[in-house]
Amino acid sequence: MTWLKLVEGYMPGQMIGELALSILLFALLNWSLKRAGMGIPKFWAGIGVWVFIWLYITYRIYPPIPFSVRAIYGTVTMCGIFMWVSGSEADWQEFKKPIFNVMDGITPRHRFLRTVALILIPLGIGGFAYQSYLPSFDEPIELRTVHPAPPATTKLHGKTFVLQIAENPFRVGSEGKYDQEYTNERSVVQAMGRLVKDVNDPNYNPWDPNAEGYMKYVREGGEVFFQNCHFCHGDNLNGRGLWAYAFNPIPANFTDAGTIAQLQETFVFWRVAKGGPGLPGEAFPWASVMPPWEQHLTTDEIWKVVMFEYWHTGYYPRTWD
Amino acid sequence: MGGLIVKTARKKILAVTGLFAMGAMLLLPIVVALPALGAEEFPAAAGVVEGQSDEEKIEMGRDVYYKIEGPAIGRPAPKTEDTTEFYPRYNFESRILLWVANQQHLYYGSFVLAVPIFCMCIELAGMMTKDKAMAKRYDQLAYDFIKISITAYSITAILGGILIFTFLTLYPAFFGYLSSVFRPVMHIYALMFVAESATIYIYYYGWDMMKEGLLKWLHLSMSVVLNVIGTTLMMLANSWIGFMMSPSGVDEKGQYLGNIWHVIHTALWNPLNIHRILGNMAFGGGVVAAYAAYRFLSAKNDEERAHYDWMGYVAMTLGVAFLIPLPFAGYWLMREVYAYRQQMGITLMGGLLAWLFIIQATMIGILFLTTNYYLWQALGRMTGAERFQRYIKYLVFILVVGLLVFITPHTIVMSPAELKAMGGQQHPVLGNYGVMSAKNGGINAIIMTTILSFIWYQRGNRVPTVSWTRFGNTFMIVFFVVAGINNIWLATYGYFIPANVRIGLSVAQVVGTLSCLFIMVPFNLVMLKGARQLGPIRWGKIPVRSQYALIMLATAFTWMMGLMGYIRSSVRLYWHVNEIMRDNSPWAYTHTIGFAANVISFNVLFFWFTILFVFWLGTLGVKKAPVPAAEPVPATPVPQPATGH
Repeated sequence: MTWLKLVEGYMPGQMIGELALSILLFALLNWSLKRAGMGIPKFWAGIGVWVFIWLYITYRIYPPIPFSVRAIYGTVTMCGIFMWVSGSEADWQEFKKPIFNVMDGITPRHRFLRTVALILIPLGIGGFAYQSYLPSFDEPIELRTVHPAPPATTKLHGKTFVLQIAENPFRVGSEGKYDQEYTNERSVVQAMGRLVKDVNDPNYNPWDPNAEGYMKYVREGGEVFFQNCHFCHGDNLNGRGLWAYAFNPIPANFTDAGTIAQLQETFVFWRVAKGGPGLPGEAFPWASVMPPWEQHLTTDEIWKVVMFEYWHTGYYPRTWD
Repeated sequence: MGGLIVKTARKKILAVTGLFAMGAMLLLPIVVALPALGAEEFPAAAGVVEGQSDEEKIEMGRDVYYKIEGPAIGRPAPKTEDTTEFYPRYNFESRILLWVANQQHLYYGSFVLAVPIFCMCIELAGMMTKDKAMAKRYDQLAYDFIKISITAYSITAILGGILIFTFLTLYPAFFGYLSSVFRPVMHIYALMFVAESATIYIYYYGWDMMKEGLLKWLHLSMSVVLNVIGTTLMMLANSWIGFMMSPSGVDEKGQYLGNIWHVIHTALWNPLNIHRILGNMAFGGGVVAAYAAYRFLSAKNDEERAHYDWMGYVAMTLGVAFLIPLPFAGYWLMREVYAYRQQMGITLMGGLLAWLFIIQATMIGILFLTTNYYLWQALGRMTGAERFQRYIKYLVFILVVGLLVFITPHTIVMSPAELKAMGGQQHPVLGNYGVMSAKNGGINAIIMTTILSFIWYQRGNRVPTVSWTRFGNTFMIVFFVVAGINNIWLATYGYFIPANVRIGLSVAQVVGTLSCLFIMVPFNLVMLKGARQLGPIRWGKIPVRSQYALIMLATAFTWMMGLMGYIRSSVRLYWHVNEIMRDNSPWAYTHTIGFAANVISFNVLFFWFTILFVFWLGTLGVKKAPVPAAEPVPATPVPQPATGH
């Protein structure tokens, strides 16, 4: 069943595609059964769709989705199913029919079901109440702020940087001036292979002995990275370094669309320089073991390693113009 | 015949002249105050330092935002301390008292600013229509609208007074500073309020007296003036909050530099203006729709039910027409916030307040889902609409998937064990849904689906008969499919390009979505010209679920306004005026999400209890009975593109 494998990078599309296909198949099945005079009653169809989606998000998606998000998904799905079964008066009457049949106890079978429901519902509520009052020994839930707001300025090795306007001095074009476009164009190809555009061209391969300017600085940043950062952040910058699983949470995955791709380069510069101890108050519960690299690296080295991270992942730092 | 045309034209000219004369008179305070707008025109500047030599006379300051020099003629922002001198208090958290007073004033203010705009549109529609019965119907509807707002207007004024007293009593140092900076326009604001009051009362009480001919045009003109004043008032009030978030026109000590336009025209003023105008309209539509639903549910006979069903439909349509562009206005506001201060933007959408934004996204989703649901229910009152109802499940799927993506949090609530099981903070699925690119795709898909529901509603009981029907239908299907593909493609492509380019892509997404609205809806109406009727619309014959949907729509609007107001205000963190005047009161911390949500809910409940009182007052002393349902139903609802009935 390898064709059913979820592939990192395509998973978001796969999930929506699979759900859409399942719903279409379900509609087709129901339509065929209806034509054969055995259509699934609306009540059971609604319950069936909800149960299917709950099972899908609980067991199909890996790594497991935290309960808080599954609860959101489950609730929204339930609202959607309600909208579907009550979208027209005829559908709503059809949906309600088995419920009212049981409540009215129109046949012995319905009366039996009513009795069972009257016993099970209070028991279920009681069980739920009991569970919620049971003492729990799990670690408490944390609402961790992954990207706390940076300060307006940060001081590093005696120099103050205004984070809104500061620029990476090594992100330069062929004329030695700051050039976002030039450097963006020389990032690795953002694809599953993460390829360098042309390994034989010193303009694209930082490890080419003739690489100059921006590419040379990327290489120097890479050297800093592999001497200091890769133990935690990993060879592929995906947060799976040798020591990564000693920590919880594991280090940031720079290849994820939600980390450095969302941030200004100065933000990453500030985070690297100040590390976990420099996190502001809003970054509760300050779950970061990253050292304040300003104590170990020069300012230039920090700029270069940040640039290397963007280059390697193929992401571009956020800008506003 | 010719004489009649000349007579009508003369009446219109006279009405327009009257309108301009009235507008000019009411805007006189602004014209009088205009010289004060120039920086060099402030005599007070010289007065402050009278008797000093020329060199000592004017201390110069540098504008914190515009970066230009100006005479520092204002006093510096007070450096407050946690004492009763700066923060007098009752035995209660002052911030909560101010919060409640502010929010209630804002709710009522929004409502009374929005309703006259609706009245203007509906009254105009009544005057333009040739069908006398219809004209009467529209006129009655506009009157019903303004009747609700007139009591609310008094309550707004009372709440405004309470708000000022709360400021003066609990935050005197801050309020003193703010009013010193805005002194040049404070009285203009007060005078505008007088003008607004005079106009609205004449407009309301003069309804019956000015019901025909030239007087009717003058009456309509008054609603235009009323709305100009109302909007100006709102923009002035917005300048205060804009100044608190992104101050300008002062130096770093907070000293006023003599240019009131710079103080008003802050980095966030215009985005706030646009966002609030649209927000007020959507909110106003929601509240009137809830009023109609309340009257529908308590109706004693079919006539009343038919009237309030129609009223609810029109109000909902107006509200939703302004709800659709609202997310785009919000996007612009957030973009400007990020451009103004990166840390402010991150605090809002990626940091401390990010979860509140997830709640906001959920509320937006509820609004759109409820709108769709109402429209599907409304199909039930039309013969022939069953042919659309069988496809509802597919629309539900698109809406649900769009919403799931839209509300997937970037910062996930989880236990350390779940975090470990997930193998890091970033999830390969959720991580991709949690960023802006996917969310833009989600919300655009939801809006497009809503537009499609609307088009189905327009076609409910009608079949196009134009000769090019097949071409028209194919064109519409292709248009929607291309717009949908464009949306998904751009949402996906957004992951592979720099953020500044991605922000540009959102414009293309918005254009695709709005094209569906502004091209497809009128196109559909053209196709429906002379369409074959499959049966009448049975106004009042709609499931009660639809009316609860309207009430839910209004409640969701109210809750979301409260939430967004809290977010906007709390993003200043421990500043009264961002980076200028620090909040040193004991309440300068950010509330927990749960506590904030409780206060918002309290505000919502309080508003709805009081507005129910307003609704009840609206049922007393009814001057005009609803027009009997036996009269023909509207041929074309107002404003376009409501429906084709």
